[in-house]
Amino acid sequence: ESKVHQLISFYSGMYIAQLQGGAPWGFTLQGGLEHGEPLIISKVEEGGKADALECPLQAGDEIRIINGINLTGYRQEAIALVKGSYKTLQITVRR
Amino acid sequence: MMTMTHMESTVRYDNGYEDEYMLQEDEWDRDMLLDPAWEQQQRKTFTAWCNSHLRKAGTQIENIEDDLRNGLKLMLLLEVISGERLSKPDRGKMRFHKIANVNKALDFITSKGVKLVSIGAEEIVDGNVKMTLGMIWTIILRFAIQDISVEETSAKEGLLLWCQRKTAPYRNVNVQNFHVSWKDGLAFCALIHRHRPDLLDYSKLSKDDPLGNLNLAFDIAEKHLDIPKMLDAEDIINTPKPDERAIMTYVSCFYHAFAGAEQAETAANRICKVLGVNQENEKLMEEYERLASQLLEWIRRTTPWLENRTPEKTMAEMQRKLEDFRDYRRQHKPPKVQEKCQLEINFNTLQTKLRISNRPAFMPSEGKLVSDIAAAWQGLEHAEKGYEDWLLTEIRRLERLDHLAEKFRQKATNHENWASGKEMLLSLKDYETATLTQIKAMLRKHEAFESDLAAHQDRVEQIAAIAQELNELDYHDVAAVNQRCQSICDLWDRLGTLTQKRREALERTDKLLETIDQLFLEFAKRSAPFNNWMEGAMEDLQDMFMVHTVDEVQSLIAAHEQFKATLPEADAERQAILGIHNEVQKISQSYGIKANIINPYSAITTDELLVKWDKVKKLVPQRDSAMQEELAHQHAHERLRRQFAAQANLIGPWIQARMEEIGRCSLEIGGTLEDQMTQLKQCEHVIVAYKPNVDKLEGDHQLIQESLVFDNKHTNYTMEHIRVGWELLLTTVARTINEIETQILTRDAKGISQQQMNEFRSSFNHFDRKKNGAMETDDFRACLISMGYDLGEVEFARIMILVDPNGTGIVSFQSFIDFMTRETADTDTAEQVVASFRILAGDKPYILVEELRRELPPEQAEYCIMRMPPYRIPGAPPGALDYTAFSTALYGESDL
Repeated sequence: ESKVHQLISFYSGMYIAQLQGGAPWGFTLQGGLEHGEPLIISKVEEGGKADALECPLQAGDEIRIINGINLTGYRQEAIALVKGSYKTLQITVRR
Repeated sequence: MMTMTHMESTVRYDNGYEDEYMLQEDEWDRDMLLDPAWEQQQRKTFTAWCNSHLRKAGTQIENIEDDLRNGLKLMLLLEVISGERLSKPDRGKMRFHKIANVNKALDFITSKGVKLVSIGAEEIVDGNVKMTLGMIWTIILRFAIQDISVEETSAKEGLLLWCQRKTAPYRNVNVQNFHVSWKDGLAFCALIHRHRPDLLDYSKLSKDDPLGNLNLAFDIAEKHLDIPKMLDAEDIINTPKPDERAIMTYVSCFYHAFAGAEQAETAANRICKVLGVNQENEKLMEEYERLASQLLEWIRRTTPWLENRTPEKTMAEMQRKLEDFRDYRRQHKPPKVQEKCQLEINFNTLQTKLRISNRPAFMPSEGKLVSDIAAAWQGLEHAEKGYEDWLLTEIRRLERLDHLAEKFRQKATNHENWASGKEMLLSLKDYETATLTQIKAMLRKHEAFESDLAAHQDRVEQIAAIAQELNELDYHDVAAVNQRCQSICDLWDRLGTLTQKRREALERTDKLLETIDQLFLEFAKRSAPFNNWMEGAMEDLQDMFMVHTVDEVQSLIAAHEQFKATLPEADAERQAILGIHNEVQKISQSYGIKANIINPYSAITTDELLVKWDKVKKLVPQRDSAMQEELAHQHAHERLRRQFAAQANLIGPWIQARMEEIGRCSLEIGGTLEDQMTQLKQCEHVIVAYKPNVDKLEGDHQLIQESLVFDNKHTNYTMEHIRVGWELLLTTVARTINEIETQILTRDAKGISQQQMNEFRSSFNHFDRKKNGAMETDDFRACLISMGYDLGEVEFARIMILVDPNGTGIVSFQSFIDFMTRETADTDTAEQVVASFRILAGDKPYILVEELRRELPPEQAEYCIMRMPPYRIPGAPPGALDYTAFSTALYGESDL
């Protein structure tokens, strides 16, 4: 199911990443509405959980949804949501 | 003499006779010694026989040997028995005369075909008994026995046969010969009884009395049959075998007597038969005549009936006649045919009978000949045929007449049905009150009717033709037919006339209505635009105009004047239109069109037109005054405009000047930022001081607004322009001041020298193509390139995000400086800050509160303590703070 999701979203420009295992997830967030910028993944740690996916997250992906919640755009919000996940983290990005 | 020879059987006249006679002669020769008894008998018998003939000549002989010696009685005898005349006898007494006479006799005998051998005249003259007896026997044989023919048996045998036949019914008689069979006398009695039963009672006779029988027979023969006694009864009885010749001679007399009688009887019968046949024939003839008459009569009666040609009136009657004829043919004629046939048969039979019986052919009386009958019959048949033909022809004729009459009736009825009511319809004056459409419909209907009429022409002609034919064929009720035909034709003529008249009336009316229609159309065509024009004019004349300039008013006035100029023309049009209407009125009145004439093309009435026209006329001067009023108005406005314009034209450029001043100021490279600041502040002052002017302008503007003047060609500046410009000026000066302040700050914060600042400024100005204090995206790119940063799209985009986070598309000088200073200065990346914190934290991944307080100035330390998120990793002491997250957050990054 997640594969289908992935495919669909991939083709629609959105891509869902399912991360397992808990923090650290191995990616860096940049920007945010606080700075008047979009919320972008600026770095993906090599070998990290984000990188180990079949379709790994990439630098430049704009995070739109975390754990099914549409983001307002504030980085603090995004951080809170990420830290709030325990063992599984679902991120929807726009590539 | 035992050898008593039989006379041999058939004595034929010709061939066998000689032989027989030779035989006889031989016998006779042998019998020269004639039995004396026989001689006696013969003498008696022969004498009696001669005498039976000679008595017819009135003479007799006594002695046969003597009385015949002179030959005279012999010759006489011969003459009597032959019925012929011998040659004249010699009357001499001399011997030679006697011989001569006897020879004549003998010659005569010879001439009858008897060969006399060894009978000479001398012997006879000499009185030779045997010779004489022989000669007499020859004569008897030749003249009494020879010619006997019974059942094709002749002479002796014939005689014997005759005896046998005649005595056949008598059982006690058996004739086998001419000697002993006759001894008992019954044969003689039988012969007599056979022929003349009235002469003796045979039943009383018996064999035992031969004498009685013989004598009885001889007596009766002599008395009643004219047969003289030639035999002696006793001689016969006493002689064992009586003389055959004597018996034969006597029996031959019986033959001749009875046969003669028979012949007579036959003759009588023949006569009776002939007479009977005759009678029969006559009856047939009568019958024929009768039937013929009957038939002819019948034909005569019937023929006129068949020739009657009086026609009947009705077919039923003719059919009856035909039936009668058929009856005649079926019932009456066949019997007559039968009759005729019978007649013919009878005739033929009769003729045949007559021919067979050698009678002359039957000649029917005049008029009844077969040919007559045939002719009459033919005539009858001919008449019949003629009659039949005539009947059939008549029947056909009547049939045809009936058929025709029926046809006539049907067609006439159909036609009358069709025609009924048409006369009335054609006489309607419905067109007087019809509209054009109705007239057209009527015309079309009439056209259709005319076609129908034309189509019916044919039928009327047919009807007339049939009537004609009925006349020609002499139909019995032809008068009624003619009358009906006439009325149909009269009506037809009338219909024709009425049709024509109606057509004319319709066409005339149509034309008039067309004309009127055209006029109406004209009216409609002209009145509508005219009406519209008037409506438009009224509208226009009442139009609330919004003018904003004097020129506008004046052009309106000009237009109005123009409009006024068109009025005469309009009036003319109006009159023309009314004229049309009057025309219509005139036409309908003069042609008596009673229909309600309304204009189908237009609902506009003349009254309407008049009303509107008056209104228009009234409105015109009203408009004039309105115009003038407005003109004044506009003039006033104009004044206001000018006033405003004058003011605005001062203020506008002044603001512009100030803007330029500010721009120049901000772009300036020479001098310090403080100098720029001072300048700007001064400018600000001036600007603020100028405000009352703007207020005043506002006042003017207000007036203009109140006058609802929205345009002002005397100035390009609107109040809005001025306002906006003023605001902009204010904001610009404020912003520029702010910018300078910022730049000062930045310079101080980043330690950028004035020179650097000036360099930045110069670059910025250089790439600020539009010289409006901001670089566009392309400008910025060009700038970066010039600085040696050849960036790819992605990287450039990233930088643009940094430099222009709001996506405005322009890079301000401040952003530019920020970017540039970021580039040129050591950027404190998040990592560097993290590294810094790590040092402070003693290489721990977290930092403690006391460490922060220890290492950083209090303000920053408190800031960090407040802002740093706790470090929640198992094993970390409580109160540990995550400086990494904090740093990345600071720099806009968070490691997750």
